[in-house]
Amino acid sequence: MTCQKCPEEATVHLTETVGGRRRELHLCPACAREAGVALPEAPPVLALDAVVQSLIVTHVGELVGELARSTCPDCGLKFMEFRARGRLGCPNDYRVFAKGLLPLLGHAHGATRHVGKAPRPRADAGDRLRIRTRLRDAIAREDYEEAARLRDLLRLKDADA
Amino acid sequence: MNLDDLTRTSGEWLRGTGPESDIVMCARIRLARNLADFPFTNRASRGEKAEIEANFKSCLGTSRLELTYLDVNGFSALDRQFLVERQLISRELAAGEGPRGVAIGSQENVSIMVNEEDHLRIQVMLSGLSLHDVWDRINKLDDQLEEHLAYAYSPQLGYLTACPTNVGTGIRVGVMLHLPALVQTKQIDKVFRALQKINLAVRGLYGEGTQAFGDFYQISNQQTLGKSEQELIRILTDVVPQVIQYERTARQVLMNERRQHLHDQVSRAYGVLKTAHTISSEETMHLLSSVRMGINLGLIDDLAIATVNELFIQTQPAYLQKIQGSELGVEERNVARASYLRSRLSNGRHVESE
Repeated sequence: MTCQKCPEEATVHLTETVGGRRRELHLCPACAREAGVALPEAPPVLALDAVVQSLIVTHVGELVGELARSTCPDCGLKFMEFRARGRLGCPNDYRVFAKGLLPLLGHAHGATRHVGKAPRPRADAGDRLRIRTRLRDAIAREDYEEAARLRDLLRLKDADA
Repeated sequence: MNLDDLTRTSGEWLRGTGPESDIVMCARIRLARNLADFPFTNRASRGEKAEIEANFKSCLGTSRLELTYLDVNGFSALDRQFLVERQLISRELAAGEGPRGVAIGSQENVSIMVNEEDHLRIQVMLSGLSLHDVWDRINKLDDQLEEHLAYAYSPQLGYLTACPTNVGTGIRVGVMLHLPALVQTKQIDKVFRALQKINLAVRGLYGEGTQAFGDFYQISNQQTLGKSEQELIRILTDVVPQVIQYERTARQVLMNERRQHLHDQVSRAYGVLKTAHTISSEETMHLLSSVRMGINLGLIDDLAIATVNELFIQTQPAYLQKIQGSELGVEERNVARASYLRSRLSNGRHVESE
């Protein structure tokens, strides 16, 4: 039921009899306070707790919901597992969970961009990690032809390393 | 080189040489590195950890680095503890499982842990406040390893690490300081609070979560992303001299205002260490700290600082058991510790260790 004075949800329901006539009031908390039929604002500490709680639910809750669905294809780590244990599972997690990690990095380091030493670029860095993922997937869907091809590729790369 | 050889030597970083070595025990830098082709250690299978170890060992061979690889997985708990005491491996590596190890240099300046929280934890430490030398060495070592190993790296986030608190440079620049006068004059908390405000961490001798004993404290950077290695080193080389100055001032105040009391405290500490027949590790650390400060203030003149530095490590439980050649209970260790101290400090003359 909506408030009789504004479009908010009515949570205060009052029935009073004035001069033999029955009158019903349905108001939202703010309008009820204004009309003087509800207690004034709750003690500030409690109100703040409630506000913080609702912020977590609306903002973090949504973010976690989205991230919670994401799992790293290479190492199988879920973002919620990282949240619980504080350790990432593989280099690729930094990309997969970027949305959750970047604010955290900004908070911990005061920066989100690397400055300093860099190794010489290698085109094939991380290839073996990715091939192993594809190999696992191929085996899971029983594509043995692809699996055999990937296994040979992996052997070749292992020998190079 | 094997572990028993190590019992007959001590790390270069205990020599008590280098700049400010009366207060600075050593400077160290560690780099966290991971191989791009494997999951991080906590998610690697036994087989993958074995592959990581094999990759590293073959890299050691081809790059002709003069390091000895120790297979920590095959070690007894006592041997692992022995390496922790010498600062060559972390408690985490000692407590870990599966294929893992450490490559060390003969001077014990260099240690590279394999399959710790990150695939590689490279550490270089030198006696005294010589961070630039430490950086030159570790930077070169890192380059040599990188010739043969594909590191996990992203242009935006730098070196990728298992814990996001190390990402970027992967560097921890640390200085181990002996601060007995700041502890005695109860100013140490004030110093810590100031350091924490500028994002520096303070830890005990054995790293994270360990209580500072022997009045040794490690100051190190916490942030690793967004500042270059040189900038992070500069923060330490700017701040540490100030802490050293506070300690010197506190020592001077003790000397000026409580000289007799201080001299008494130092002499008693030395006396107990030279004559006790049973002594705990905690009491030993406490007394050695007084003796160390006493030497630096000229109150003891027949003992070398290097000997005291070594005794901080060589009175630890695992070392005592290694030189005894058997496992000892707490009471037996206390007796062995006192006996070892008497032999090293006999009759007021230090016995040089070789």
